[in-house]
Amino acid sequence: MNLTFFLQNVVNALQWGSFYALIALGYSMVYSILMLFNFAHGDIFMVGTYIGFALTTAFIALSAAGIVVLPNWLILILTIILAMLFTSCLGMLVERIGYRPLRGGPRASAAITGLMIGIILQTTVLYIMGAQRVLFPSLIQTTTYNVAGVAVTNIKIMIVFVSIALMIALHQFVQHSKWGMAMRAMAFDYAVVPLMGISINTIAAMTFAIGSALAAAAGIMYGMAYPIIDPSMGILFGWKAFVAAILGGRGSIMGACIAGFLIGFIEIFVATIFPSTLRDLIAYSIIFVILVFRPHGLFGEPYSARLRL
Amino acid sequence: MSLLKVTSMTHKFGGLLAVSEYNLTIEPGQIVGLIGPNGAGKTTVFNLITGIYRPTAGRIEFNGQDVIGLAPNRIASLGLARTFQEMRLWRHMTVLEHVKMACYAKISYGLAGAFLQTPKRRRQEQEIEERAFASLKMFGVDQFASQLPVDLPYGAARRVEMARAAVTEPKLLFLDEPTVGMTPEEMMAMIEIIRDMHNKLKTAIFLIEHRLRVVTELCQRVQTLVFGQVIAEGNPEEIQNNPEVIKAYLGEEKVVA
Amino acid sequence: MHHSESTAIHPRGTLDFIRRFFANIPLLGWLAGALAAVILEQAVGTSLAHALGLPRIPVLFGFLIFLKQPALIPGALGYVLVSNILPVCIVAKIGAPLFNLLSRSLFRMPIVVTAVVHLAILYAIFHIWTDVSAYRLIMLKLMLISILLTLSLNVINGYMGEFSCSHPGFMALGAYAASLFTVGLFVNDRLFGEALLVSDFAVIFFPLGLIFAGLVSALGALIIAIPSFKTRGDYLAIISLAFTFIVKSFLENLEFLGGPRGLSGQPDWSSLPMVFIIVVLGVWIINNFVTSTMGKALNAVRDDEIAAEAMTVNTRKTKIIAFMFSAFWAGVAGGLFAHVIRFVNPSTFGIQKLAEVLAMVYFGGLNSVYGSIVGAVSISLLGEALRPLEILKWIIIPLLLILVMIFRPRGLISFKEFNIEKLLKPRG
Repeated sequence: MNLTFFLQNVVNALQWGSFYALIALGYSMVYSILMLFNFAHGDIFMVGTYIGFALTTAFIALSAAGIVVLPNWLILILTIILAMLFTSCLGMLVERIGYRPLRGGPRASAAITGLMIGIILQTTVLYIMGAQRVLFPSLIQTTTYNVAGVAVTNIKIMIVFVSIALMIALHQFVQHSKWGMAMRAMAFDYAVVPLMGISINTIAAMTFAIGSALAAAAGIMYGMAYPIIDPSMGILFGWKAFVAAILGGRGSIMGACIAGFLIGFIEIFVATIFPSTLRDLIAYSIIFVILVFRPHGLFGEPYSARLRL
Repeated sequence: MSLLKVTSMTHKFGGLLAVSEYNLTIEPGQIVGLIGPNGAGKTTVFNLITGIYRPTAGRIEFNGQDVIGLAPNRIASLGLARTFQEMRLWRHMTVLEHVKMACYAKISYGLAGAFLQTPKRRRQEQEIEERAFASLKMFGVDQFASQLPVDLPYGAARRVEMARAAVTEPKLLFLDEPTVGMTPEEMMAMIEIIRDMHNKLKTAIFLIEHRLRVVTELCQRVQTLVFGQVIAEGNPEEIQNNPEVIKAYLGEEKVVA
Repeated sequence: MHHSESTAIHPRGTLDFIRRFFANIPLLGWLAGALAAVILEQAVGTSLAHALGLPRIPVLFGFLIFLKQPALIPGALGYVLVSNILPVCIVAKIGAPLFNLLSRSLFRMPIVVTAVVHLAILYAIFHIWTDVSAYRLIMLKLMLISILLTLSLNVINGYMGEFSCSHPGFMALGAYAASLFTVGLFVNDRLFGEALLVSDFAVIFFPLGLIFAGLVSALGALIIAIPSFKTRGDYLAIISLAFTFIVKSFLENLEFLGGPRGLSGQPDWSSLPMVFIIVVLGVWIINNFVTSTMGKALNAVRDDEIAAEAMTVNTRKTKIIAFMFSAFWAGVAGGLFAHVIRFVNPSTFGIQKLAEVLAMVYFGGLNSVYGSIVGAVSISLLGEALRPLEILKWIIIPLLLILVMIFRPRGLISFKEFNIEKLLKPRG
């Protein structure tokens, strides 16, 4: 493998890993607050992508009909903002219906509920859109730059930068805002949050909202990079992002980002070196081995059943 | 030969020295107490000897055998049983099942017995059940046999836990604050139960307590642990009058007598 | 004060009356009633169906008609009443004294004999009932298999309290191993060449194949059991999930097993008696295990592992046994499944299968043999009944399960011990 080839794959892996990282953040944040995984998150990502698809299509149609003529870049920005908004509403709804009634109950029940909500979301989209794949409208003309033999498209650059910007924004929010501090306090101890004058329900809803908004952003960017979308993408991506969240260490935001990129790298490099059919096998085997030897994830707090005395 | 001999046992959690240079000798049939303020490391001492944690340094010999590195269930099978401060009863198991479960090491019907209704299994389950009932009777809680721990009064739950530990026929029994959260009457009753059990089973007992009354009633020898170090050791009167103990322990906390 | 309840018809009172009315009927009586009903259906079912304006006998108690042909609902209800409910109730109630007598004399014999007699009648009912349509046969076989699968998952997720997602993987290992055994040895096949052995002894060889399937999958379970020494909860869940994905993509990459296209041509050896016997045997052995003190160690590990260790329970051994035992039966279920469908491919054993079997376990109830039976049967029947809704059934079933999780977080019948003697005893 020569250097150019290697760098090319690094660029591809950065893009691919951005999606995982953004979705993994949603899992990880919910985990740190509520100590449970939102198994519906992958499907929230999928719904977010479809909301983005619907919005883009609608804006383009409006422009074409001459009712509201908007330039493509504005459509893109509007789509991202609105889709994040709508999807965060969906996230809050999921929390309200599926998780809040179960808080304090057995954790396995919450996991089952999450899985079932995921199936419902997927079925709903399947019912409305049909099983066939749809083409995400392209808003930006792809331009390819050649940097020392490495092909870099403007879309790739945008995806990686927007993702990293969102991660930094989230980090700032969690570290410095009042809400972020309440979230961190809640991750540390449920009991302190009411003392701060913020209800647990508010924080939980907000966490779901933020995670879902990030997933929607990831979905739209995915639609721009790989314009063919179908309702099963939630499962495909969701589970791997979930694995990334675990691999990063549960509840660790930085860990989730890094592990997301790591899984992106593993997948891209496995696919270039081995036949592509082996991609999942090798990727999951590597993850399996990492988890067996580092069961608390890469950046999580080490824990063991023993220590919970 | 001593029943239990711990020599310069030390344990660190991360950088924190939880227990340092701890020594203990218990002879068969003895009752020894361990007192100290909260966070002194008393339960850690229990966890180290019973194999839940592995000490950073030191030696632990039980019945002449080095037990460091053995799994807790192996150590328990050798005859070292314990109770827990927070009881740790099994939420969905009946009282009888609790005590039967503690006979696990005595089961020899193997997988064939577990999967099929072999005569050997029936016989052994029967034996275990009788043994369990005897133990429940001894602690006066046999009438609760088919109930779940959540339905028990607090005092009864404590006794069930003792019955569970006692059924393993221990040579040495560790009791972690057996009277915690009890009214004075319940405490006196518990002292009688422990004394009674000691007379019947002849087990040695190592007891963590917060209340000096329990220790003075029961123990022949008492250790005082502060910040992971034994600051005084002797008979109950000596400990009560030791200025170090009064300063470190009695001085800062009001002790319920 | 005036009590209005005494005059009004009280629904609870009615229910209570019905319960008391049937209280003296032993299980034997119900079985006899059901046997009478299926014999009756075989004799006059078709004419009865025609008389009620139905084209043919409703195959699944009219469940399939409710959504597809609403006009036929009155007819179907009438059919179910006349052909199923009434004969069962009448025969059971009128014959109650006789059945109690029989039940008492049966009860004096060893419990095994009593159980076998009941099972034989149950099998006869199944046999005659499935005689009416091929659909019933395949549906019943799959339902029985899902009982075994659900119960085996309950061993880990219910009795031991781990959240294992590895069952589709275990099932896949079993399905492929059994298929390899039968297709490889007994069938003239494109992949493996001519049959090495004659297939006249399915009764002997198929159980061998199933044992092989179970062992292969139990061996696979070691991969999950060993990490479970140190890891619990979420991490084990994800490790087991990764296992399922690994097995699936491993099988997809094995060209000699047909790769993603899968393996077909399994001999038709999963006959009803075979499935029935294996499933009954499996349920019996699993129930034996979970009611033994050795099996109860699973509960102790679940409820408090540290206390279990302190009480001499060998937790490592317990975990290994639990995982391998559970995987063994999942593998057997997989082997049976492959020979009912007579085709396997890797994509059968993915997330969908996982959601299905988890739904059965958690719907029915944790830590309970009854729960697993109820869960497997009701989710299977519901799946069939809602089939006309096509994909919308995947909204209704999950919604139902969410409701169950909210109102009964541990499932419908959880933590209830399966007591054979209590079940079979005479009532009066």
